[in-house]
Amino acid sequence: MATETKPATEDVKIDLFEDDDEFEEFEINEEWEVKEEGKEVTQQWEDDWDDDDVNDDFSIQLRRELENNAEKN
Amino acid sequence: MAYLSMGESHRRITDYLNRFSDAVYSQDGAALSKLLSFSSNSPYLLSLADALNVFQDANRLLKQSEKYAQFGEITAPLFRSLQNYRLGNLADAYQAFEKAANAFTQEFRNWESAWALEALYVVAYEIRVLAERADRELASNGKSPEKLKGAGSFLMKMFGVLAGKGPKRVGALYVTCQLFKIYFKLGTVHLCRSVIRSIETARFFDFEEFPKRDKVTYMYYTGRLEVFNENFPAADHKLSYALMHCNPRNEANIRMILKYLIPVKLSIGILPQDWLLKKYNLVEYRNVVLALKRGDLRLLRHALQEHEDRFLRSGVFLVLEKLELQVYQRLLKKIYIIQKQKDPSKAHQMKLEVIVKALKWLEIDMDLDEVECIVAILIFKNLVKGYFAHKSKVVVLSKQDPFPKLNGKPVNS
Repeated sequence: MATETKPATEDVKIDLFEDDDEFEEFEINEEWEVKEEGKEVTQQWEDDWDDDDVNDDFSIQLRRELENNAEKN
Repeated sequence: MAYLSMGESHRRITDYLNRFSDAVYSQDGAALSKLLSFSSNSPYLLSLADALNVFQDANRLLKQSEKYAQFGEITAPLFRSLQNYRLGNLADAYQAFEKAANAFTQEFRNWESAWALEALYVVAYEIRVLAERADRELASNGKSPEKLKGAGSFLMKMFGVLAGKGPKRVGALYVTCQLFKIYFKLGTVHLCRSVIRSIETARFFDFEEFPKRDKVTYMYYTGRLEVFNENFPAADHKLSYALMHCNPRNEANIRMILKYLIPVKLSIGILPQDWLLKKYNLVEYRNVVLALKRGDLRLLRHALQEHEDRFLRSGVFLVLEKLELQVYQRLLKKIYIIQKQKDPSKAHQMKLEVIVKALKWLEIDMDLDEVECIVAILIFKNLVKGYFAHKSKVVVLSKQDPFPKLNGKPVNS
């Protein structure tokens, strides 16, 4: 078919009119159950992550760095 | 193509015309839909297309009986479209399809009940995808692709037929979603506004009465618009609605919702669980999340650079770039906690010099003035509570809640 043999450069040009994230069509009569509100949400997201824990590698290195520098001065 | 006799061609064409008028008379929307669904490439329509190309003069047939002639305004251009479609002349197929679609919409307007909604959906969908294919054909022949824009104008007319009071209103959201797909593809999203206004201000029709599939699609697209407008609470509401109501089996759509919802959640201080990123293959957000958790400015900048193209294409780059302030806040908080463990009495006095050192360790070169400026912004945005002791180059942190959490609210602007 003609559409398959068009040169690659044309693809690029048309690509400007693309939306990468076009939502897929649902079937006209597609049916599904909606999950219970709340339950699922807490499993997906974390809003209490901003803790006082400084025992991770990054914090340990940061501490070392600040202390080293403090000594040098 | 195997040999097709004139007699057989004639039989196929009259069979189609009979089915068409039977479907209308018995108000059988599902049967009518099948007769319009080109993109389904059903053997029935393909064999009809072959018959039309053998028979050539179907118009004469249409005029032979009142039964056929009655819907001739629809079926004659539809036949022409199908012939061209079968031959791969997509721009011509589009042109004729638009004529048929116009005639169909006129009929639909006159039908009192909404029995033919399903068929109308098919017309709305077909005209969009046919226009896209026609534009690709036109562009590859060096001509200007303008059919999708035309399909948009047509669908606006169709929207007008549905949007009033009455039983057909329930179909308005499907057409809206097809329009969104066109406007997003053409980059003319400002055109969404008037349709949105019409959907959201109608007091005589509750949004919840629309079909679920359309509500989910609508919330996805309007949520994306809110992301572009940097209206994060509204974006959160709309995209979360889409996520919650989407068919859980449709993972591609869930992934697309998350692609926009995650930066929105991050910007109001909420992180996605790691399994969510893995399950939906959204690993480009992994280091962004880690950078927020750690207070690692270098990692944030690397993560944005690494996936710059992807983030720019989806339009979330600017949203993610603004996370820097939250990462600064986290870094300062870490320094504060480390100081506090060493000497609790002096922890609330933070030398700007210490921040400069921490940043240097992260390979970010800033002098005292620049750091002072950043801290001033953090204080202004209420990410840090405190004040400057300017002469001694120290920021004095509030003893109560020096690093307020966002708690689901956007950073002050």
